[in-house]
Amino acid sequence: MMETIIGKRVPRIDGPAKVTGEAKYTVDIQMPGMLCAKILRSPFPHARILNIDTTKASRIPGVKAVITGRDAWGVCHGFVETPRYPADQYVLANDRVRYIGEEVAAVAAVDEDTAMEALNAIDVSYEELPAVFDLFEAMKPGAPEIHPVEIPDLIGDFRNIGGQCANSYGDIEAAFSRAYLVRKDRFEPELRTHCYLEPQATVAHYDAAGILHVWTSGMGTFRKRMHLSRTLNIPASRVHVHKSWVGGAFGGKIDLFSHEFCTSLLSMKTGKPVRYSAEREEIFSYFRHSQNMIVDLETAVDREGILLGQRVRCYNDCGAYRGSGVVLIFTTWGYLVLPYRMPALDYIGYSVYTNNPVRAPQRGHAAPKIRFAGETQMDMIASDLGIDPLTIRLRNARRPGETLPNGDNIRKAGLIECILQAAEKTDFARKYEENRALQKAATHIKRGIGMGASGYFTGTLIYPNNSAAMVKFNDDGTVHLLTGALDIGQGAETILAQIVAQELGLGMEDIQVVSGDTDATPVDIGSWISGLTLVTGNAVKKAAEDARRVLLASASEALQAAPEDLEVRSRRVFVKGTDRSISFAQAVSRHIRDNDGDPIVGRGYSRALKEAEFGPSLKNAKGTWSESYAFDAQIAEVEVDTRTGQIRITKAFTAHDCGFPINPLLVEGQIDGQASMAAGQAAAEEITVKEGVTLNPSFLDYKLPTAHEMVEAQYIDVITEAYEKDREFVTKEVGEGYVSGILGAISNAVANATGKWSTKLPIKIMPGKEEEE
Amino acid sequence: MKRGSAKTLEKEKGSEKIIALTVNGEDHLVPVEDRDTLLDVLRNRLSLTGAKEGCGTGECGSCTVLVDGKPVLACLTLAVGAVGKEITTIEGIAASGKLSPLQKAFIDHGAVQCGFCSSGMILSATALLSDNAKPSRQDIQKALEGNLCRCTGYNKIIEAIESVKDKK
Ligand code: FES
Ligand code: FES
Repeated sequence: MMETIIGKRVPRIDGPAKVTGEAKYTVDIQMPGMLCAKILRSPFPHARILNIDTTKASRIPGVKAVITGRDAWGVCHGFVETPRYPADQYVLANDRVRYIGEEVAAVAAVDEDTAMEALNAIDVSYEELPAVFDLFEAMKPGAPEIHPVEIPDLIGDFRNIGGQCANSYGDIEAAFSRAYLVRKDRFEPELRTHCYLEPQATVAHYDAAGILHVWTSGMGTFRKRMHLSRTLNIPASRVHVHKSWVGGAFGGKIDLFSHEFCTSLLSMKTGKPVRYSAEREEIFSYFRHSQNMIVDLETAVDREGILLGQRVRCYNDCGAYRGSGVVLIFTTWGYLVLPYRMPALDYIGYSVYTNNPVRAPQRGHAAPKIRFAGETQMDMIASDLGIDPLTIRLRNARRPGETLPNGDNIRKAGLIECILQAAEKTDFARKYEENRALQKAATHIKRGIGMGASGYFTGTLIYPNNSAAMVKFNDDGTVHLLTGALDIGQGAETILAQIVAQELGLGMEDIQVVSGDTDATPVDIGSWISGLTLVTGNAVKKAAEDARRVLLASASEALQAAPEDLEVRSRRVFVKGTDRSISFAQAVSRHIRDNDGDPIVGRGYSRALKEAEFGPSLKNAKGTWSESYAFDAQIAEVEVDTRTGQIRITKAFTAHDCGFPINPLLVEGQIDGQASMAAGQAAAEEITVKEGVTLNPSFLDYKLPTAHEMVEAQYIDVITEAYEKDREFVTKEVGEGYVSGILGAISNAVANATGKWSTKLPIKIMPGKEEEE
Repeated sequence: MKRGSAKTLEKEKGSEKIIALTVNGEDHLVPVEDRDTLLDVLRNRLSLTGAKEGCGTGECGSCTVLVDGKPVLACLTLAVGAVGKEITTIEGIAASGKLSPLQKAFIDHGAVQCGFCSSGMILSATALLSDNAKPSRQDIQKALEGNLCRCTGYNKIIEAIESVKDKK
């Protein structure tokens, strides 16, 4: 029998490099003669640039290049670049700045001091323009215009609408008129941010042959290459994005950033390697935070708590440029209708320009916000109707085989099973009632338990739409896996190597992974749309199967047995049921000898949504989105100190349907990280921005969770799929979906403890008053 | 790497001098300015990039190194102040090419994800365990309170440390 390595707690293969300090992140790259880049930013939230004088700066000894918008006139990029939503952000401000911190000029100098001196010597004259920071103010007809945009199908008389996603179905009027209960609530999750520990950084080196080499802290090298090639106007084949170790990203490093463009252009101008590394305060103040959103949720239910219909309005402040805002208002719709049946819907999401800093996706993108709203309101409804949180969820949760409003089928969805198991394993019903009975008790420490559920998509179509892989046999019978995948901490390299090990009967130590290099490896979707294990994983599986097929053909001649009668294990090919075998090394050398020098190289490829031409419509949410959806039910236990207002999340339980875990150790790590992020967001984390200025630009003031805030985590896998031989496997994502259920669970647990619901995040309990703001 | 504006730089810029630093048991003569942090010198002069700069302002712990066995934040320590002391960086922990039990536990328990906090975490935990072979969970949390990790939620880091402690 072939040994199985899929489903094993295999330690990550990049572990030794990371625990010894050997792993080289972008900030660690040193090159002889490397210049230091610095960026000059706008001090105004909205202004016209009248003139930029760089003469003094350029004359400072040691300054090698100064660039401004004149070097990139009309050069724009966007998270989305479509006819409806063309690129709107300048790589360097041209004649206008739209937020405090927008990039206006960049310099490269021999050292940091000289670069700083040069920045101070650049003379920019601005003419200030009226600015607007509140999204509802920005929507008013008389508001300052941030971009001259027009949405042809705009619903309402609004200004500054960067994007709109509208989707309705079912008879919404009928749903509301026959409702037993209608609840209307506004939810306001505050601005949160990624806090990847490794600062954003880029090293660029334009070599003598005219190739631009780039190392950058990102989430997918092929996507960065596309953006750099477009904005620098050089062919993609002349941009070589190298693999760089990435110190966390969580969505915050996927876009093209101005510093990546500037560092590249400065290297092209000087012919020297150039490094830019952002300071933490710069990141907090000027880089991209998560998208924020205000949700108006009006829900009609019958007497049993069955959802009849919803009217939903979502308002996203995307900041000065669209960023991912127009995607957020689509995915909000997606996570709204994913976990529970919704017979009728009237949904409009607006993404609104303001003069705030630009925003990016953050782990879960829209899901944490809309599920916080949906799960909290679900409990409010249950309470209004006198139903318990478990029953109301079971009544509404989608069952296997159901079809979503866009036509996607959720196939073997394990949501019901997740809810049941989570409730049972945590003794939910009993604790819930017990805590409720103690809400009015005279103690200031109150305990609560709460439940939240969620779903998440697994890969969709956005460039690069496909992944490919190669498995190369070495003369000694080991292999090299070539994959464009980038390990950003989630363990991509390890699980891909596990798949190769499984297919070829090799040990993990027999596999070397060459990854994330746009010249050396085949294309890859990148580590950002929750599809890596599914899409890249299947590409790798096929490449390994291909290599095995050729290997077995060679061995079959040597062993005088049909390929079907052979099996692989411990770097040898065996005739099944016998000990007749040859080593991989022999089979490889035999293949080379008998085939004019042809070595064994397996190839594989895969893409999400094979049938679809495009991904889903951002305009109306029509069209297929994903072919695999993950589900979870999560339970949080909290302690609330009503005297200090402190909320402590003591336990996070996750029952999840991830299809099947390829590596439970890594899956658990993903869940822990998400529970921690959710706990932080629920209890403390918040970016405070006033008139475009971030008021708390540091880890401490942002209140990032420390070891003291560790949340005890427990998990249970609900297995709905399997890894089989010679078949594509279906996995479900595990890296993003579990922020949301637990966020809803924490919110509901606090309500279970105190009897009061919070519609804002972070949840604030007024000390002494025993109620939230 | 925090620097003031160009105007104050003038005054800050001192003349370079040569100092002797003992790092991972080896003596190095390095040219430094008075204002250079230990972190800058380790990373830029000695190419010991295992110590990371996550913030530069003493808030994240990714720059943690051991000075005479005690964890310090290299971003807040002046290089000139480290003269005559034993400095240990992450590169010195598996010096003989063999991972320490703690390093191994970090890998086996999934305590490493992106790895950016790992050097600092491992050094803080190494110092803790050499002071206190059987720390309680609270002791561990206390010892790690200055080391931020955004990836792991700290669960598996604490688990890894507890696994080593149990073997002692
Ligand atoms: S870099 Fe020293 S504490 Fe963050
Ligand atoms: S492993 Fe990424 S910050 Fe700790």
